[in-house]
Amino acid sequence: MADTTNGGAIVRLENIVKRFGGAAALSGASLSVKRDSVHGLVGQNGAGKSTLIKLLAGLHRADEGTVEIDGEAYDRLTPHLVEELGIHFIHQDRLLVPTFTVGEALFLGRELRIPGTPFLDRTGMRRKSAEILARYFGLSLPQSALIADLSAAEKQIVQITRALIANPRVLVFDEPTAALVRREADLLFQLIHRLSAEGITILYISHYLGEIVDICDTVTVLRNGRDVATLPVAETSATEIGALMVNRALGELYPKPDVIPGEVLLQVENLALAERFDAVSFALRKGEVLGLTGLVGSGAKEVVRTLFGLDLPTGGAVSVNGETVFSADPAEATEKRLALVPEDRRRDGVALDLSVTENTTLASLDRFSRGLIDHGSERRQTEDLVKRLQIKTDGIDALVRTLSGGNQQKVAIAKWLSRQSEIYLLDEPTVGVDIAAKVEIYRLIGELAERGAGILVLSSDIEELLGITDRILVFFRGRVTRQFTSSETSPDQVLADVTGAHETLRHAG
Amino acid sequence: MLVDSPFIPASALEIEAQKSLEPPGSGPAFGRRLATLALRGGALAVFVGVLVVFSAAAPFFLTIGNIGNVLGQSAIAGVLAIGLTIVIIAGGSNVVTGGIDLSLAANMGLSAAVYASLVQAGQGDGVAILGALGTGLAIGAVNAAAVTLAGIVPLLATLAVMNVVAGLELVLTQNTVVPAATDFLSALSAGGPFGIPVLAYILLGFTFVVAAVVQYTPLGLRLYAVGAFPDAARAAGLPIRSFVAGSFLASGLCGGFAGILSVSYLSGSTTGAGDMLLPVVVTALLGTVFSRRLVPTITGTLLSALFVGFLINGFQLLNISSTLVSGVQGLLILLVVSATTLLGRKESI
Amino acid sequence: MATAFLSSLTRGIGRYALVAALTAVFALFATLAPGFLSGANLLSVLVNNFALLAIVAVAMTFAVSAGGIDLSVGTAIDFASFAFVSLVLAGQPVALAALGGLAGGALVGVFNAVLIAGIGISPFLATLGTLFVGRSVQQLLTNGGNPVYLPPAGVPEAFRFLGHGTVAGIPVPLLLAALVIAGAWLVLSQTRFGRVVLATGIQASVVRYSGIRLSRVTAANYVLVSTIAAVVGLILTSTVTVYIPSSGNAFLLNAIGATFIGTTFDPRGRPNVPGTVLGVLLLGVVANGLLLSGLNFYWQQVGTGLLIFSVLAIGFANRKAAARA
Repeated sequence: MADTTNGGAIVRLENIVKRFGGAAALSGASLSVKRDSVHGLVGQNGAGKSTLIKLLAGLHRADEGTVEIDGEAYDRLTPHLVEELGIHFIHQDRLLVPTFTVGEALFLGRELRIPGTPFLDRTGMRRKSAEILARYFGLSLPQSALIADLSAAEKQIVQITRALIANPRVLVFDEPTAALVRREADLLFQLIHRLSAEGITILYISHYLGEIVDICDTVTVLRNGRDVATLPVAETSATEIGALMVNRALGELYPKPDVIPGEVLLQVENLALAERFDAVSFALRKGEVLGLTGLVGSGAKEVVRTLFGLDLPTGGAVSVNGETVFSADPAEATEKRLALVPEDRRRDGVALDLSVTENTTLASLDRFSRGLIDHGSERRQTEDLVKRLQIKTDGIDALVRTLSGGNQQKVAIAKWLSRQSEIYLLDEPTVGVDIAAKVEIYRLIGELAERGAGILVLSSDIEELLGITDRILVFFRGRVTRQFTSSETSPDQVLADVTGAHETLRHAG
Repeated sequence: MLVDSPFIPASALEIEAQKSLEPPGSGPAFGRRLATLALRGGALAVFVGVLVVFSAAAPFFLTIGNIGNVLGQSAIAGVLAIGLTIVIIAGGSNVVTGGIDLSLAANMGLSAAVYASLVQAGQGDGVAILGALGTGLAIGAVNAAAVTLAGIVPLLATLAVMNVVAGLELVLTQNTVVPAATDFLSALSAGGPFGIPVLAYILLGFTFVVAAVVQYTPLGLRLYAVGAFPDAARAAGLPIRSFVAGSFLASGLCGGFAGILSVSYLSGSTTGAGDMLLPVVVTALLGTVFSRRLVPTITGTLLSALFVGFLINGFQLLNISSTLVSGVQGLLILLVVSATTLLGRKESI
Repeated sequence: MATAFLSSLTRGIGRYALVAALTAVFALFATLAPGFLSGANLLSVLVNNFALLAIVAVAMTFAVSAGGIDLSVGTAIDFASFAFVSLVLAGQPVALAALGGLAGGALVGVFNAVLIAGIGISPFLATLGTLFVGRSVQQLLTNGGNPVYLPPAGVPEAFRFLGHGTVAGIPVPLLLAALVIAGAWLVLSQTRFGRVVLATGIQASVVRYSGIRLSRVTAANYVLVSTIAAVVGLILTSTVTVYIPSSGNAFLLNAIGATFIGTTFDPRGRPNVPGTVLGVLLLGVVANGLLLSGLNFYWQQVGTGLLIFSVLAIGFANRKAAARA
C-alpha cells in the first residue's frame, strides 16, 4: 500500500494539468488533504480553484497528473464514484427544490418508505430530519416549511444535512459563506468544528482569508494554475496568505496612460440601499479610472447596479454632469450616457444568438434608423469597432456564441462605444478572459480615459485594479471602509481590507 | 450510521444559534405564506360559495343524485386533466418550454374510435379495451420520442401529433358517429349504488389510484423534483429524460382510458373530441390553486374538474347559458396567475 | 474539414427542407391531381387556403419572435368581426365600421399587453385566459352565442368589397394578405422595433441591460399581433356577411404550426415572415392537392400533420446538431 508515501492523505491530487481549448486552467497543481484535517484552499479568480474542485467531483477529467483517494489511484472519477468514495460537495448554488418541504428535500433520491409498502414515509422523514437538524444545528424548522420559505442560511444547512445523511468522509465546501450574514457564518464555523471532531475531513474553499485562518489547520494557495504553497495555518497569517495569492511581479501587464482627471462626471452622495449598502459617497471625473472592490455581499456590486438604474436606492443622491438622476430605469441611465458592462456577460451583456452586428448596435439603433434600419451604416460602424477593439470573429455576421470569452466581452463594450457613452461601469470586466484579451481590455480602458470618459471598474482581482485604476474604494459589509491611491499601495494592503483580515472573528467554540 | 449517533450535547451555544436564525413567522417568507393561504382559501371559498348559491337557487342542486351526475359528467374531462397534470408536473410549469400535452383530447377521440370500430368489427370488449389503451400508449410514446429524442419542445411536438391523431380519427370513422353497444359499455354508463353513476365511481377510483402514486410514493416525489428544478434532480442522481418520457406515456394512457369512458358515455365514438383540449388545459392549470404549495396536484385537478362540472350543472339548473363557464374559468385563471406572479415579483425584490 | 462540410450541408438541407418539401408537394400534385395546375385552381388555393391563414400566421410570427405566443388571435378576429358587423348594422359608413373593427381587435391586444407586460404573466397563460374570457364576453354580447346576420337587402356593396371585390383582377383578400405580409416583413426585419422584438425573444435580459424599455416594446408587440389578426375578422365577415361567435379559433393551431415550420427556413432558426408564408403555402397546397387527387378526404389532416411533424423534427434535429458544432 501507498500509505507510507501519502502520509495519511485521504485526497491526493498530484501535478494536475487541465487545458480548455488552448488555455491551461491548471498547469501542474497538487493538493494533498490529510485525513481528519480542515484544509483551506485559496486563490484569486482564475487561479484554478474551481477547475480543481470540479476535477475532484468527477465533472472534469485531468489531461495529466494522478488522482488518489485513500491511497488508491483513479484514472477516471465520475460523480457517482466520488459519492461512493464518501466525498460530498456543498455547492455555492443551493440545489434544492423550492416547493419541497425540508424532509422531502433532504431525502430526495433516497426516500424512506413505510415498511412493506411502496409509499413514502412522510412522518418518518419529517421526524428524522427534525432529529438531524436539532442534533447538528440545534435548529427546529416548522414541519410544514417549504424550501422557498427558508433563509439563505437555512437552505445552506439543509444542503449540508443532505450530505450528512449520506455518511460522508470528506466534505468539500465551495464558498459556503458567500450568501450568509455574519451570525449565520459563525454558526457554520461551529458546525465545521464539530464535523471535524466527528472525524469528517473538510476541504474549505473561500475568499475570506480571515475565515481560513480561523477554522482551517492547513491551507493551500493556488496561483496561475499551480499550488504555490501549502502551509500549516498556525505558522502563517492572513496577510501572508494574501501575499502568496497575488503575483508580486506586476510588470508591464497593465498599460496605463497618464491622464489628468478633469471635471466631475458622476457624483454619488450618501447613496443607500436597504440591507445592501449605506452612506456611499464618491465622485468620478473625466479621464479617471476608479476601482471598486469588495467580497460578494460587500455592497460594491449593488452600488454599480443601482447606478445603472437596476435597483431603486433607499437614500442618497446621484447626479450626472450636475443633473440629478431620479428613477430606477436603465433607459434613463443610458440616456444620461451611462453604460454597464455586467458581470454575467453571457446572460446580460451579449445576446449569444444575435450576431456581432446586432449586438453592437442594439443600444444605439436610433443612430442607424430613420424609419428603416440603414444596414450599410450599421455594418460600417460595427466593422470600425471590430477593427478598433481587435475583436476576433469570423465576420460581423457571426453569432456572438461562437466568439471566445474575451471577444464576447469586447462586443459587450463595443455596444456602448457605439452608443457614445461617457460613464462606463465595468463589472468584473476580465473574469473568464484569457491573458492576451485582458491586456487588450486594459488598453481599451486606458484609451477611453484618454478620450475623457469616466470609468468605474468593479473587480475582485486586486493586482488588476492597482494596475489600471487611479483610486480604489474598498467595500466591506455594505460600507466604503478604505480609499487607496493606486500608485501608493500594494496588493496585500488592499487585500487585508477587502478580506477583513484586520478583524478577528469572535470565536465562540 | 452517523445520523443516529447522538454526539453533540445541547449547549448554551446551540440555544444562541437558534436565536440567530430568522424566526419562522416573520419577514417576507411569512408574508408569502399568508398570501398563499389567502389565495388558496379564496379559491376554496369561491368553490363553496358557488355550491351555496346554486343550492339556494336550485334545491335539487345539492342532492346526492345531482352530485353523482356531476361526478359522472366530469369523468372524461377529469381523467384527461389528470393525464395532463402528470405531464405538467414532470415538465415544469413553464407551459411553452415545459410540460404540456396538446394531443390529449385528440388521443381520446382516436382511442374511442378504435374501441367503437373494433366492437363494430365483431371483437369483444377485451380486445377493444386493449386496442384503446394501446392506441393511447402509442400516441404517448410518439410524444415521448419527439420530446426526449428529437428534442422538439413539447408544445410543438404534441401540437403536430395532435394533428396526425385527429386526422387518423377522421380516416377511421369517416367523420361519422360509430355506435357501439356492449354489456360492458352499458355497465359503465349505468347507475351504481346509491343512484350514483358508475362513471362517478370510476373517476373517484382513478383519482385515488393516480394520486396515491403521484402524491404518496418516492416515484411521485421524484417526478416533482424533475419538473420543478431539474438541476436539483440531476444532483440527486435522477434520470431526467426517463421521467419526462414516462410522463408522456402516462398521459397517453389516460387519453386511451378517457376514450373508453367516452364510448360508454356516448354509446359510441363521436367527432369533435378536439374541442375538449383547451378546457382540459385550463382545468389542469387551475388545479394548482387547490394545493397548499400552489403546484399541480392530482387531487387539485379533480377539485378543479368538479368545480367546472358544478358550474355547468348549476347554470343548466338555473337556465343560464353554460357557455359562461368558460368566462369564469378564464377570469379565475388570470386572477390566480396574476396573484402568483405579483407574489413572486415581490419576493424577488 | 470533412465534418465542417457535412455540418454545413445538413444545415443547408435544414434551411431548404421547407422549399424542397413545397416543391416536391407541388410537383407531386401537379402529376397526380388533375386540374391542380389550372390557373383557376391555383387562384383558389391562394384565396381559400392561403390568404386568411397567412395573415393570422404573420401576426403569430410577431408573438413568437418576441419569445412568446398568442393563443387569443382568434379572439381578436372575433372581436373585430363583431364590432364591424355591429357598426354596419348601426348604419355607420363601412370605412368607419372597418376602423372600428380593427380597434375591436386591438382591444384584445391591449388586454394581453396589460397581462403580459404589465403584470408579467407568461404569454401562454395570459392569452389562454383571454381566449376563455373572450369566449364568454361574446356569449354575453350575442344572447348566448347567436350569429349576427346582416340582412341580405341591407348589405352595402362596399361591405362585400373586402371579401368579394377585386382590384385589377386580383381578389381583395389576397391583396390584403400581400400588403400585410410585405408590411410585416418590413417591420420585423428592417426596423428598430423589429430588431428589438427579435432580441427580446432571443435574450430579454440583454435588451433590458441595453437601456431599452422592455415592457413598452412587449406591450406594443401584443397590440400589433391582435390588430393584424383583426384584419382577418374584417375579411371573414365581409365574405360570409355574418358574425359567428368564437369562430376565429379555427386558425389558431395552423397559425402556430406555420410559424414554427417557418423557423426552419431561417439559417438561425428564428421566426421570420418569409418562412411563415412558405409554411402557410405548404399547408395550403397540401390541403388543396389532397382534396383534388381524389385520395380519401380524411387523409388530408393526417398528411398535413405528418408534414408539420417531419419538418419540425428535421428543424430541431438540425438546431441540436448546430448547437453541438
